[in-house]
Amino acid sequence: MMNNTESNPIISLENVTFSYSSQPVLQEVNLSIPQGKFIGIIGPNGSGKTTMLKLISGILTPQKGVIKIFQQDIRKISRKKIAQIISMVPQESYITYNYKVKEVVFMGRIPYINQWKGEALLDYQISREAMEKTDSLIYAEKGIHQISGGEMQRVYIARALAQSPKILMLDEFATHLDLNYKYEIIKILRDSLQEEVQCIISVFHDLNLASYCSDQLILLNKGRIEKIGTPHEVINLQTLEKVYRTRTHIIKHPKLSIPQVLI
Amino acid sequence: MKSFIKPAQNKLYGYSNWRYKALFIIIFGFCVILVIGFIALNFGTIAIEPKKILSIIWQHKTDDSLGLIIWELRIPRLIMAMLTGMTLACVGGSFQGILRNPLADPYILGVSAGAALGACSVIALQYITGLYLIPILPIFALVGAFISISLVYLLSRKKSHLPMTDLLLAGVAVNFFFSAIITLLLAISRREIHSMVLWLMGDLSTASWQKVFLIVFPVFLGTMLLISSSLELNAMALGEEEALHLGVQTERLRLKIFFIGSVMIAIVVSFTGLIGFVGLVIPHIARLMVGPDHRIMLPVSALAGSIFLIICDTIARSIIAPTEIPIGAITALVGAPIFIHLLKRRNEHDE
Repeated sequence: MMNNTESNPIISLENVTFSYSSQPVLQEVNLSIPQGKFIGIIGPNGSGKTTMLKLISGILTPQKGVIKIFQQDIRKISRKKIAQIISMVPQESYITYNYKVKEVVFMGRIPYINQWKGEALLDYQISREAMEKTDSLIYAEKGIHQISGGEMQRVYIARALAQSPKILMLDEFATHLDLNYKYEIIKILRDSLQEEVQCIISVFHDLNLASYCSDQLILLNKGRIEKIGTPHEVINLQTLEKVYRTRTHIIKHPKLSIPQVLI
Repeated sequence: MKSFIKPAQNKLYGYSNWRYKALFIIIFGFCVILVIGFIALNFGTIAIEPKKILSIIWQHKTDDSLGLIIWELRIPRLIMAMLTGMTLACVGGSFQGILRNPLADPYILGVSAGAALGACSVIALQYITGLYLIPILPIFALVGAFISISLVYLLSRKKSHLPMTDLLLAGVAVNFFFSAIITLLLAISRREIHSMVLWLMGDLSTASWQKVFLIVFPVFLGTMLLISSSLELNAMALGEEEALHLGVQTERLRLKIFFIGSVMIAIVVSFTGLIGFVGLVIPHIARLMVGPDHRIMLPVSALAGSIFLIICDTIARSIIAPTEIPIGAITALVGAPIFIHLLKRRNEHDE
């Protein structure tokens, strides 16, 4: 389980409660996330998945409770410092002006660049490597408004990797990806866990993909954690029926022994 | 993996060196300004030979009437046009970046309406009292501009936040409210309508060395500060949350750009009136030429704005000389076709 059995957690949430005006979104959430894991957050619409990501990255501040990354209260870390630790792949966002792909990837280096000294050669090198990894170098010179949704998603992942994060967060990264790229990107993410990225947290809509990717799943229901554990422990008939209020069928993946959900 | 750019060919891993590019563009831009500026000096009510102008400039001759025309009228006016164009375009570009809105211009956050109200009040007062008040007009315009800046800030501030939409809406509201008062002033001081309208459309004819010295320092400092925020402005294009994830303190950035930009505009328009179109379209032209990266786009906007306003002012004061056409009419008349042409060319290029 995810509680403090392993050394020190990278991220911990203690008694976190968050609400938009008077609408509670997350209630009394306790959680600690260990090193080296791919964490999937699942749950029905409005269960607080994306809010949880925003709380962990310090964009939202909880009304109650404490969030720590690397044992440090997130409120006491500067935005720039947080950006050097956490990077985020957004679900979808519109870029106002038609930047080139390589320029957007390079923006991942902004937290490291001093306003007056400017960028170093290393910043270019890291951006290029991020594009190589995500296979987006082929269209590096294209305008961001001229590429497809799938290509765009790879650019976002490249930008997040260029940020050299220790914690990589993704919000439904696979929505527009073709099958082959889905597989490729998951492999890239997995590989990055072997390198400098110490933890990946991703919100999933697709339970099967979540089961395929994650070491640990967090199932949210109405702002509370319903269940935490391996895909095996979380994805079962009773739990899914309770949370999603739908009868499902669960089969075992023919190659990997992970649960897959059929309706 | 296929590579679009071969690493061996490029030391910067496929990225171009924006510093060289910016340096080249700035030097080139200054050369263009010198040439255009010199040509502009030739035009006017009195024709002066280019050779004669050169010798007047070279010997710094101010003892005859021609020397006075060049040194005390045309050169300060030229510099004023240059500084004004630079400010309008650079602030316009920054506002478009910070508000994530390609339709933003330097006047959108309310500065102009305050300045205009200040200026028109003076003209109305002059009409009512019969005193000669024009010399204090810039002071009133400046005060008006600062009142509207504070008003917009106070209206849009929520606790310590300055939300983007609220800022924009407060700006628009203040603009409308002040414009309504200006319309009232126009209605009651009928005989002075002409000078009010002239001011509202922009007027560089009152340029002097004194005014140039008053605006040159704040304008250059402000431009430098805006350009120094380029990387953060780039991040803003990704969206507010994305920028936060890149470590940009978006609230602070917005506040900074709003105040620096507004103060620059306040100072400039107090002397020149509301010259339109430049601040809206020049940044787009700059983007079409060099791309949206603010590190290059803002300096290019500043230079292009200068060049553009020098040309427009020269046309405004010489085409039916000795009568002057309001420069605001010329900027749109000359600028719109250029802009449409560039836009069409880009669309064809994309297809």
